[in-house]
Amino acid sequence: MRQRILHALKTFHWQQWLVATMFLFVVGFTGLHAFRTIRDAIYWHYHQDEPIYGWMTVGYVAHSYHVPPHILYQALGLPHKPPDKRPSREIAKSQHRSMDETRAILQEAITHARPPYPPPPPPNEKGTS
Amino acid sequence: MIEQLLASLPLYGVPALFGILVYSSAGGPFPDTLMLLVIGSLVAQGEMKLWQVLVVGSAGAIVGDQIGYCLGLWGGRRLVRRITTKVGGADTVKRAEAFSKRWGGAAVFFSRWLVGTLGPWINLSSGITAYPWPRFIVWDVLGEVLWVVLYVMLGNIFSDRVQTLAALLGNLIWVIVGGIAATFLGWKLFQYFRNAGVTQVEKADIATESGMGASIS
Repeated sequence: MRQRILHALKTFHWQQWLVATMFLFVVGFTGLHAFRTIRDAIYWHYHQDEPIYGWMTVGYVAHSYHVPPHILYQALGLPHKPPDKRPSREIAKSQHRSMDETRAILQEAITHARPPYPPPPPPNEKGTS
Repeated sequence: MIEQLLASLPLYGVPALFGILVYSSAGGPFPDTLMLLVIGSLVAQGEMKLWQVLVVGSAGAIVGDQIGYCLGLWGGRRLVRRITTKVGGADTVKRAEAFSKRWGGAAVFFSRWLVGTLGPWINLSSGITAYPWPRFIVWDVLGEVLWVVLYVMLGNIFSDRVQTLAALLGNLIWVIVGGIAATFLGWKLFQYFRNAGVTQVEKADIATESGMGASIS
């Protein structure tokens, strides 16, 4: 078998070498992405929450973390009515904060809105929580 | 830029979706898979209507594809003609056109929803090789509608984890495409090895036969 393979390799022209090289490249590429897919699937399985990115609105963060939106608006010092639909990075910029600071504020508010902490009170009608 | 465009979705709704999909399908760099998942999530949150998203999203993507096709057909063909007149290679262009006529439909369909990165290039090449427009539009509509429905529904179902889902799908698609390519190339290699083996056996047979002939004589 080994001899047959060696013999076949000796008869290879450049086209066959090209196919072999492409095959190895594609196998490596697929393997890398398979590894990343498995890594993402494991992350998905063990982490209920996804990191807060700059494009996310406060409404999306509240939806993603299953907390009432008004507590996040309150934490950022924003009225919850009408809902602010700007992405969190833009909110951070308008409040002269870095995205990391805004993310930390949101994370802290989320932590305090979840058990074992008591649930937050409902917002008042004026929209200022 | 990308964040601003994504942010325009909850602010401006379906007109923003239409504009972004025209831009990205015509070749503008934009993570449109993530965007469709975000749209699905916005539908789940009650901020957008599902039927509007599906109709307007598909329409935007189809319009963007026509821009790429027309650029290829009008500008690209002229450019290729000019190059072939100066440098040569008209035969290669004819072969590419024949190849496109045969496989263009599949390329258009799969590059809409499976390998979206190739979409704008396939639009251009379809125009350059004069792939018939009626066939192009049929495969285009089928592929784009499937793409929009599939990703918006996935975003709708997994509305609380669209960023993680986008990363997972992005890698999974390359695993599928890479798997298909590796199977094809592996099969080609196997054929080379088998043919080389057959040649070796044939040579051995000839050698045996000639040896027997010599011993008889």
